[in-house]
Order: sequence, then C-alpha cells, then structure tokens
Amino acid sequence: MSAGRRSPTPLTIVSASTPDDSQKAGNSADWSKLMARSQDGDREAYRTLLEGVTPYIRSLAARCFKQPTDVEDAVQDVLLTIHMVRHAYDPGRPFGPWLAAIANRRIIDRLRRDTRRKAREVALSADHETFAEPSANLHAEKPDEVALAQAIDRLPPDQRQTIRMLKLNEMSLKEAAAASGRSIPALKVATHRAIKSLRRMLKQQSDST
Amino acid sequence: MTRTQDLIDAIVQTATPVRRLRPPIIRAGLWLAFAAIVLGLIAIAHGVRPDFSDRVRQPLFVLSMVGALATSVLAAVASFRISLPDSSRLCIVLPLPGLALWISTIGYGCLTDWVSMDPDGVHMGEAVRCFATLLMTSVPLSIAMLAMLRYAALLRPIEVSVMGGLAVAAVTAFALSLFHDLDATVMILIWNLGAAVLIAALGSLFGRSMLTWMASHFATPPRPDIGP
Repeated sequence: MSAGRRSPTPLTIVSASTPDDSQKAGNSADWSKLMARSQDGDREAYRTLLEGVTPYIRSLAARCFKQPTDVEDAVQDVLLTIHMVRHAYDPGRPFGPWLAAIANRRIIDRLRRDTRRKAREVALSADHETFAEPSANLHAEKPDEVALAQAIDRLPPDQRQTIRMLKLNEMSLKEAAAASGRSIPALKVATHRAIKSLRRMLKQQSDST
Repeated sequence: MTRTQDLIDAIVQTATPVRRLRPPIIRAGLWLAFAAIVLGLIAIAHGVRPDFSDRVRQPLFVLSMVGALATSVLAAVASFRISLPDSSRLCIVLPLPGLALWISTIGYGCLTDWVSMDPDGVHMGEAVRCFATLLMTSVPLSIAMLAMLRYAALLRPIEVSVMGGLAVAAVTAFALSLFHDLDATVMILIWNLGAAVLIAALGSLFGRSMLTWMASHFATPPRPDIGP
C-alpha cells in the first residue's frame, strides 16, 4: 500500500492555481529547483521531489476516490506520468501549476475510465452465481430432480424398472436384458412408453404450477 | 499491488538525464521548416500549377493561400503550446483568425465561381494526382507531428491531435492550391475543406491511440520496470 518509509513533506499546495502565500511559493520554487536538478540526472533530488509531492497528489486523489487502493493507483499513475513527461518541464516556469495540471488530468482520466467500466458491468447477485463443479450448483437444480424422481415413482413397475436400469444406472440394453430377464425389444418398448408417460406427467405438473 | 514508495524507488533508479523540450514556438518553427522542405521537394518534383503566375495576381487566391498558411502556422503553435501540461486550454482558439480567413475565401470563391462550374471540371487524372500530393504532404507531416508530440498522449491527446491535424490539413490544402489547377467549385470544396475535415477528424478519432503508440515505441525517457 501507500505508506511511505520516510516522513512525508507537509502539504504545501492545495489548489491547481499558483500558490499565493510566501511559504507555498517558496516550496514551489524548491520543487522547481529539485525538478531542474532531476532533469540533469540528480537522483537524490528526484527522490526528494517525488516524496515531497506524493502527499499533495494523494490529497487531490482522495477528493475523487473513496477506496484507499484507488487513491494509491491514481497517485502512482500521476508519479509515472511525471516521470514520463519530466523533460517537458521548463524550470523557468512555476512547478505547482505544472504538477497540478498533470495530477488533475490523470485523475480525471481514471475517473472517466472507471465510469465507463461501471456502465458496462452489472453487479452479480447470489442467483447469478454458478460454479464449474456441477455438484456445487445442485441447489439450483434440485426442484427439477425431485419432480422427475416423483414422476418415475408413479410409473408402472416394468417401465420404472427399465428407466432406472437404462437411464439412471446407464446400463446397456444387453446388461438390462440379462438383469431383468426380459427381451431387448420389450425393454425398448417399455423405455419408449416410460419417456412418453414422464413427458406427459412433467408437462401436466408444469402447467398446473 | 506495488507500494508507492517502491514505485518511487524504481523510478529514481531508472532516472537518467533528460534533454529539456525547446520552447513551443521554436518547436513549431522546426515543424514548419520541415513542412517547407516537403513542399519544396514536391515543387521541384512536380512544379507549381501552370497558371500560378496568373492566379497569384488575384487577391482572392492570395487571400486563400495566406489564410491556409496562417491557419497552419497558428495551429502548429497551438498544438505545441497545448501539449504542455500547464498551458491554457484557450490556446485552441489561436488558429481561429487564420481559419476564418481561409474558410471565408473558399466560400466566397465558391460563390463567385459557381457559374463556371461544369462537369468537365472534374477529371479523374487530376483527382488522382491531387490525392498523391495530399498523401505526400500529409503523411510525413503527420508522422513528424506525432513524433514531436508523443509525450502528450498522457496529457491532452484529443486537443493536441485536433490542433495538429488542423495544421497538417492547412499545409496540405496550401500545397494542393499551389500545385494543382483546382478551378471547379466542387474540386475546391472537396480538396480544401474535405481534406481538412478528414485529416482533423482522423486526428481526433485516432490521435489518442496514435500518440500512445508513438509514446510506447519511441519513449523518452524509458518507463521504469515495476514488479507486480
């Protein structure tokens, strides 16, 4: 997360406008010098500058984002942008407005992107949830299973036995014929009639509900 | 998530000296000098339009050329100025005087030339050559503009690309008027305004992605390598 190891420089600039009191102006001038040295390759000056401006950027980001992670993402985005465009800074101009313009621009861009993403996405409720493992979704399928089991129970005994062997236990016709002692054509006819009966019973049940 | 302090450490480690950008006026001047070289090369290869010496005595033609030139100069200055983070957004109105002069002369020309318009005015051969000039002028100038303004991808991509597109479009229209005999009203409209609108529209549509592509492929300074 965000907490810096070093103690942050006190917040010096609070608006995008040019700092108006002498302390702010002084800090902005310091930052301006630090940035000029950073452009010349002074890494310590660069570190001091980035650590100095981070609390200010964080205060700007905190006005627009509620989640601390979003705030830190925005802060890091602004820091990276400063790094990428640091050659565009003119040391003859004040640093405060330059920094504020970059920070506001990047924060607004992130806000727009978030708004677009939220407009496309829909929050899922518990009913929408499903899982790759079929057994995890049994609570959703249970009513159908119960209705089917009840319908099978209401079938005539020979049809019920055939459906259980061939469909529920997934036996082949040969195995079912050997187990039940009935011929294969008789099993086929019984299966056909059982499925017809089940379809009728389930349809009646769904019509009545 | 990378901690902000880790990010600062990574940024500082990759920090190398950078060359500061020159003032926007000078950079716009460099781009315009490049545009002058491109136009000069085309003039050497193609030659100016046959009736140039006659046309240059007509105030309307001269005004139109001056308008296009002023638009390109002002739009180039505006695009380089507006690419800087702390510059005012009001820079986008800078090219308006030149644009107004240019558009008004085209409109006036259309009004007075309306009677001279005839179907024979539009020849396919001339149109193809016009298109070639359009590409020869606008493509190198657009690439140069994108390369010079690539850092603006993170800041104001739309405004910068519209201004840059307008500058390229105005130079292109200037080149078309310089090299091609465009007396038919329809041709003037298509090649001047059509090209301008097309290039400026392409700039606003694809400016952000093109600037981002340029910035990622020719980035200076390098982006620090941040761990996950």
